[in-house]
Amino acid sequence: MTTYDDATRAAVAELLLTLADDEFILGFWDSEWTGIAPMLEEDVATSSIAQDEIGHAKAWYEMLAALTGDNPDRIAFGRPPEDYRHAALMNHPRTDWAFTVARRFLYETADSVRLEALSRSSDPEIGGLAVKMRREETYHLLHWSAWVRRLAEGGAGTHERLRAALERLWPEAESIFAPLDGEAVLVEKGILPESLSLLRDRWVERARAELEPLGLPTTTTPGPGSAGRLERTDDFRWLWGEFTMVTRSEAGATW
Amino acid sequence: MIQTAQAEAFYAHVSTGGKVEADDWMPDDYRAAVLKFVEMHANSELMGVLPERDWILRAPTLRRKLALTSKIQDEVGHAQLLYRVAEDLGKPREQMLQDLLAGKTKFHNVFHYPTRSWGDVGIIAWLVDAAAIVSQQALRDSSYAPYARTMKKICWEESVHIMHGRDVVLTLMTGTESQRAMVQEALDRWWGPLMQMHGPPTDPAKDKDLIWQIKSKGNEQLRQEFLGIYVPRIWELGLTVPDPALAHDDATGRWQYTEPDWDELRSVVTGHGPMSQERLAFRRLHREQTQWVRDAVLGVAA
Amino acid sequence: MPDLVWEVFRQEAEGDPLVHGGSVRAPDEELAMHYAREFYGRRQESIRLWVVPREAIVELDDPDLLQPPFDRSFKRPSGYLIKHKLEAARQRAGAPAIVAGSAIPEPEDVG
Repeated sequence: MTTYDDATRAAVAELLLTLADDEFILGFWDSEWTGIAPMLEEDVATSSIAQDEIGHAKAWYEMLAALTGDNPDRIAFGRPPEDYRHAALMNHPRTDWAFTVARRFLYETADSVRLEALSRSSDPEIGGLAVKMRREETYHLLHWSAWVRRLAEGGAGTHERLRAALERLWPEAESIFAPLDGEAVLVEKGILPESLSLLRDRWVERARAELEPLGLPTTTTPGPGSAGRLERTDDFRWLWGEFTMVTRSEAGATW
Repeated sequence: MIQTAQAEAFYAHVSTGGKVEADDWMPDDYRAAVLKFVEMHANSELMGVLPERDWILRAPTLRRKLALTSKIQDEVGHAQLLYRVAEDLGKPREQMLQDLLAGKTKFHNVFHYPTRSWGDVGIIAWLVDAAAIVSQQALRDSSYAPYARTMKKICWEESVHIMHGRDVVLTLMTGTESQRAMVQEALDRWWGPLMQMHGPPTDPAKDKDLIWQIKSKGNEQLRQEFLGIYVPRIWELGLTVPDPALAHDDATGRWQYTEPDWDELRSVVTGHGPMSQERLAFRRLHREQTQWVRDAVLGVAA
Repeated sequence: MPDLVWEVFRQEAEGDPLVHGGSVRAPDEELAMHYAREFYGRRQESIRLWVVPREAIVELDDPDLLQPPFDRSFKRPSGYLIKHKLEAARQRAGAPAIVAGSAIPEPEDVG
């Protein structure tokens, strides 16, 4: 990794943590569909996508570990709930299929805007990893757009389920673009080529362009507050309890 | 068996290595036998997801999480492959799922038991999958060709699972004392179901599945194969098998063991296992919860 | 949209033929493609997939057409046994006997 001064390193670490935690927590929730998705074929597809997210999280954690001299599994599994930096969108369980499709659509479109910018990062490692991830994310975008279309066109009741889920989740999706500590430094150095606020506007435009023709209007929200990545819910605390259960049973053991 | 000349020719064909495709004519009893066999296999893959599923969330490292999710995903995939084979024999998938959830059809004994620790995850992925692979390898030559081809694909995919399981067990066995104790405790609980898994020995002269080459090896032969490969591998780790009578008789070349509890097996596969009803209820609940999706997208009353 | 059956053919390496892998159920072409990818490509085991609705497949398995009884060996290389005739012709022409590993190329056995 490029050698950075302390302030920049801290800012990069924060950025990497948000990227990793978003993928990690979402991958966890969606891996819960394994075995119980609406159709057998879809079960396998959803599981693959959840695994991709964990794989991406792993890559970001590894980069972060190299930057801060830590261990990727320790970062992933070893923090108290308050120290996770995922977006508020990821605080909820998989809930039901409409919720999952809505959340996935919002996340994939947002992540795609984010990765597109990061692929132009002045940091070659970040840029390289973003380019690789975008190739896998192509499938995710195709898949979840296909489901949004299917549910939107699946009759009045189905359409309404999706519409309600999107409406509920939209403000929390904004939290993907919550301002970061040290963002100014990242933008100045081109590590993050554009501000999160600008990326958020681009995302709103793209998501709207896809949803509106399907009769899924999006409400205007004031944009994400900085608390967007700091709120924790009971659902998340439950998940944290589950995924740290084995590691907490014997500190320092290898699994 | 049906007594027409066409049926007689068919039985001769399958019992001497001949193959059958989905569109070929077949006597009703052969069709029913294959369907029953494949349907139970498909049901088992689907229900087999549930014991391990809880541990997807609890997997303790990034790599284990990926490997375990992938393994369970494969089981779902195998269920799909097998339901497809069964469907092409004439029974719709929705009907098979309904029959399973109503307790009318069966699934293998091992999936009726609880998982209690990360040690179970290792033992299941290693030994339960190993016992299954011993059966599945023998099915790659089934007279029913679509099933045989599917078994080849499944065997190829299962080989990864055993590697993963053995890796989990070895990591624990080279870890702390309480990790080793965890594995031993899991093995102590799983040994009984494992020994019952291949079923009681059957009379080859009366076993239609063998006569018609739907399967090519008898239950006892499969169990002996499993013991032959895996008991030495269990012992070499310093683990003990909870059967004082387990020993290899060099004179006969056979493994001796305490007779498995066949009453337990019968009771369990008819829905009286410790987790049978809970798991079926779990599946029923989730099936109901996602019914609206199928109705919307597939447009057929399922 | 009914739940249709789609047959999946896969190609493992460049230049290989496409081989039947199995089938998936999907309501339409788009999801059929995604599911084909999952079942026959998620392990990076294929470089190309063909996804075909089952109804589009026309099957021929009539043995009268595919395995007719009259001799057709003239259509295959193995139907031509020239070894002894070649040996006789060479002897008559005074050519050296064919020895294994000699410089004179053997007729290829492509049967």
